[in-house]
Amino acid sequence: MLLGVDVGGTFTDAVLVDEDGSVFTAKAPSTPGEQQAGVMAAVEACLARARAGRHAGEVKRFAHGMTVATNALLEFSEGRPPARTALVATEGFTDVVELGRQARASLYRLCEAGPPPLAPPQLRFGAPERMGPAGPLRELDPRATERLLERLAQAQPEAVAVVLLHSYAHPRHERRLGELIAERLPDAHLSLSHELVGTFREYERASTTEVDAALSPLLATYLRRLGRQATELGLPAVQVMQSSGGLTDAGRAAAHAALTVLSGPAGGVGGALLLSEATGEREVLCFDMGGTSCDVCVIEEGRVAETAQRSVAGRPLALPALDIHTVGAGGGSIAWRDEGGALRVGPASAGAIPGPACYGLGGERATVTDANLLLGRLPPVMGSPRMGREDAPLAGTLEGTGGMRLDRGAAERAVGALARELALDPIACAEGIVRVAETEMRRALMVMTVERGIDPRRFALMPFGGAGPLHAAAMAAELEIERVLCPRACGVLSALGLAAAAARRDVSSTVMLAGAALTSDSLAGELTELVERATAELDEPPARVDVRYELRYRGQSFELTVAAELDPRDLFGGGVVLAGDTLHAGERPPVDPARLREAFEEAHEQRYGYRDERAEVELVNMRVSALGAPPPLSLRGIATQPPTRASQEIVFDGEALEAECLRGELPPGTRLEGPALCALPDSTLLIPPGWGGAVDEYGTVVLDRIT
Amino acid sequence: MSGDGRHHGAGARPLDDPIELQVIVGALRAACEEMGATLVRSAHSANIKERRDASTALFDRDGEMVMQAEHIPVHLGSMPAAVNAVLALGQHPDVSWVLNDPFAGGTHLPDITVVTPIFVGAPRARLGQAVLQNTDTGHSPTPAGPLIGFAASRAHHADVGGRVPGSMPADSGTLEEEGVVISPRVLDAATIEELVAQMRNPRERRADLRAQLAANRTGALRLVELAERVGVGRLEEAMDAVLEYAERRARACIAALQDGVREAEDVLEAPEGDLVLRLKATVEGERLVLDFGGSAAQHDGNLNCPLAVTLSACWFAVRVLTDPDIPPSAGAYRPVEVVVPRGCLLNAEPGAAVAAGNVETSSRVADLVLAAFGRALGQGTMNNLTLGNDDFTYYETLGGGQGACEDADGPSGVHVAMSNTLNTPIEALERELPLLVNEYSLRRGSGGAGRQRGGDGVVRELEALSDMTFSLIAERRRHAPPGAGGGEPGERGRDTLIGADGEALRLPAKATGRLQAGERLRIETPGGGGCGPPPERDDLHPDQPDRCGDGPMGRIHV
Repeated sequence: MLLGVDVGGTFTDAVLVDEDGSVFTAKAPSTPGEQQAGVMAAVEACLARARAGRHAGEVKRFAHGMTVATNALLEFSEGRPPARTALVATEGFTDVVELGRQARASLYRLCEAGPPPLAPPQLRFGAPERMGPAGPLRELDPRATERLLERLAQAQPEAVAVVLLHSYAHPRHERRLGELIAERLPDAHLSLSHELVGTFREYERASTTEVDAALSPLLATYLRRLGRQATELGLPAVQVMQSSGGLTDAGRAAAHAALTVLSGPAGGVGGALLLSEATGEREVLCFDMGGTSCDVCVIEEGRVAETAQRSVAGRPLALPALDIHTVGAGGGSIAWRDEGGALRVGPASAGAIPGPACYGLGGERATVTDANLLLGRLPPVMGSPRMGREDAPLAGTLEGTGGMRLDRGAAERAVGALARELALDPIACAEGIVRVAETEMRRALMVMTVERGIDPRRFALMPFGGAGPLHAAAMAAELEIERVLCPRACGVLSALGLAAAAARRDVSSTVMLAGAALTSDSLAGELTELVERATAELDEPPARVDVRYELRYRGQSFELTVAAELDPRDLFGGGVVLAGDTLHAGERPPVDPARLREAFEEAHEQRYGYRDERAEVELVNMRVSALGAPPPLSLRGIATQPPTRASQEIVFDGEALEAECLRGELPPGTRLEGPALCALPDSTLLIPPGWGGAVDEYGTVVLDRIT
Repeated sequence: MSGDGRHHGAGARPLDDPIELQVIVGALRAACEEMGATLVRSAHSANIKERRDASTALFDRDGEMVMQAEHIPVHLGSMPAAVNAVLALGQHPDVSWVLNDPFAGGTHLPDITVVTPIFVGAPRARLGQAVLQNTDTGHSPTPAGPLIGFAASRAHHADVGGRVPGSMPADSGTLEEEGVVISPRVLDAATIEELVAQMRNPRERRADLRAQLAANRTGALRLVELAERVGVGRLEEAMDAVLEYAERRARACIAALQDGVREAEDVLEAPEGDLVLRLKATVEGERLVLDFGGSAAQHDGNLNCPLAVTLSACWFAVRVLTDPDIPPSAGAYRPVEVVVPRGCLLNAEPGAAVAAGNVETSSRVADLVLAAFGRALGQGTMNNLTLGNDDFTYYETLGGGQGACEDADGPSGVHVAMSNTLNTPIEALERELPLLVNEYSLRRGSGGAGRQRGGDGVVRELEALSDMTFSLIAERRRHAPPGAGGGEPGERGRDTLIGADGEALRLPAKATGRLQAGERLRIETPGGGGCGPPPERDDLHPDQPDRCGDGPMGRIHV
């Protein structure tokens, strides 16, 4: 059995996948501050649901996506420092983390501050040394270093980040200082910038290293506690999801918390990828919408779009991450009238407490969920018929095991009040709330597609999360997308993605090779070193090794990425397969600078419309990712219990249409035609008129536009 | 808005559909952002790609700006001037305009604007299709429907010819010295070739101009789609409604200000001496009049502003003082009237040199408006430094202290007003150029004391590794950025040339000279003003009202 557990803002989801492909799910309320409690509750509930006689000892792998690091960063902006963190940087440059890139946070709110530095000024120390681009300009001064260590020890930091200028190319001083600090402060966590990031641009490297140092002690404590409880239950060692979409072991995650800052959303993308592979849909737009936000990412040619740098809470992290765009539009987004008389939705959210008015927990302001309820787009009882007691805190009026009964009266009052302010009919107001919210979601989808030169119309839209399937068809229509794929496990897709994830290690280096220095030998040398590092850290034979070359025309200040894959049978032969290559059996592809240049120029022409044949091409960075084999996992063999059917009125364009409402799991082969509503165990799928389809063998609802 | 320099708009008309309004606002905003993304993605120069020194906007058929993607505040008010400059010239499908003349729709010469009229019925490109390839810009006989609006894009090009690389001379006396002046003209393939031939790095210029055309095509495509979806008549109503909506919100904000006259006075530090600028700001109900009468006359240097730049600075300040959430459309500025006498430094006559007007004088205009409303001021300069020799040209601007607000300290080491561009990483700089950075740090304590502290400036010390020239255009070297409500002023900026032997020479606010290998340039940028009396000195300000923000009536002088 494979176990995946994902911690969300409201619920912690657990998914068990059995050898025969049976999938068991459970939800427990998330327990912020002590996330392991919610994790263990969800695991135990899930084990209890798996068929009788199975126990924790049969779980072969325990994969975990969590928000410990993310939350700590977000909470720090509110003034709670995660650990007493010191920064050691080259003398004259200790303010690097505060200076950033000198842009102000908001164009017109002049005093809006950027993220506060994790290492405050009194905990920043200048290192007596200086490396230049070509090597040492000032050797590490031993006596001044001794004084530095003395002052550092007196400051009693829990964590130390070391960031010296040009250490990506010349790590000698940084390494030596690291050794000395580890001797002097054996209990403090230590993060060295060249080990973690390895690429140039000092602010981005410093910001990443500072985050890594500040969060690691906290994450280590959490993983230690979780590990202890998991072991007591008989579970295997926990594997942690990284921002890159691959797993790592708890030890490495605890040593480098920066790797897991985007652990949470990565699981969902993994789940989408799994379904994309299973259904053979290789071009998929993922649309994950929950209570407070909506995440969008792109799967192109069966691969998830990645980025070498992302910002979290205003801090750049120069580490590989899935390229996910988030906007603040969710089911709990609050609708309001602004002073110009327009209807607005969000960014304020009713959150989990009090939640939408219809949850009956004291919310009084109209939310997107309340509007959907008034339009008949939610079933009167939400959630799984199998939902157990663990869901009680959210379910205001639980009736037996029937899920949560939504309070229509409360929704009417909330939407009605806003409708009066806007001088609108309540139903028109409810439709307006949904339309305005969908405008915001559409923008997120446009950012990830049209703004990047990607035509969304050749994609299928895959909605998941509690609210994604409710808005999927409308989004598809907006973007002229013809097909919607709603996964069976759409409400717990992140946990499923975790169960199916593979291990991954990423290493990178700034190499700056151009002209005569960019040769087949120099390329092979750099590549071999990176591949050795990545595979050594993987702890299992790699199933796939990806290389990303970041190149530019000399003089440019931005890079373009050329992706390539190594021949896994001959990793150290230096053979590189560029995207689009066809290899014949036994053939060893060369590491050829000319081919690299050609690939770069092709990418440049595609993106910028021209090549510059006279310019020198410079290889700036190299990144290597080693991936383990994903666990064998089959998704067939799902429940065949037929859903219950009832009828319900749903409003579309001001008109109430009689629609079928199906409740429960949908067996393969079930045919559907809009208008219809599917009350799935953890989510609600709305099928507007003009859409129809059927459930495939994996339980995925495949909807196509029929008119 | 040319001629006598008066600018104000028409009255409002109510709109009865709050939902459609918000959906249209969202669609227009998305279209402008997509234009911006296309421009940044397809441009070549680092200035556009990395520093995002570019703006995009959509206009209705009367040339009113209905929406703008916000990147650089200094472009705010000057985009409408560009469309106005071509409005009367006759529009044809697929015929775009180009201009940079500061006195006919432009700001300063490096900012080149491309304007494209939008007609319904023109052939539709596919959604998401790369429009970049279609760069033929000749007249086409495409039958088309009515004109529904304009798309405009503006980008700061790295060079537009003229006497010095970068086209930002510190000591120009005429516009011609600053580069190629482009009066509004049709942008076709021949024009592109003719123009780029007069500039440095023509290949890059060509790519950037094409990127601007691609951005405009994107905007045109989206507006046509919208027209086809809702109908031309409905789209026109909706664009009117967006303008009126922004106007209503701006009026509500101005109405919340206390009626009355506020005055402010400040100076620019010209080489020949201080140039005085004056503002009388009058709030009367829902109207705001900004009158710069009494300000210095146009001078022989390059601190002059065309009116469009002055308007941009005013609208930046109004946006700060009202609600930044108001959609950036011309409607938001209808309740604001700007009065600038012709021939004044802030409404210079055609032909005047303007290189520093856009980067420095614009900051002081924004300062005047903010000061009139009782705000503590930020560093008030961009600290423009250009270094170069036969092998390279390098231009950077440096952040400093922001003025404190009523409820928060001023941020440190940031661009404070009309610019928000990024710095160059030291590790990149040292790899590319014969320069060594000896220090880059916060200038601790340079922010003015106060109940809320002004932000600190920065210290940046560069060492030349080979011989080169330098040109520094800075302000707030003689006069400190003032605080408000009893807050202390920030420290003045300070620039020092340090010889290889350690001998230090203090530089003036505008300086050009030579650096030999081993010589250093140390720039210390100004701190921001504080807000409210410093806690330890409460007793020193017994009579001062200690609020800052929409402050008391009265005169504020530096």
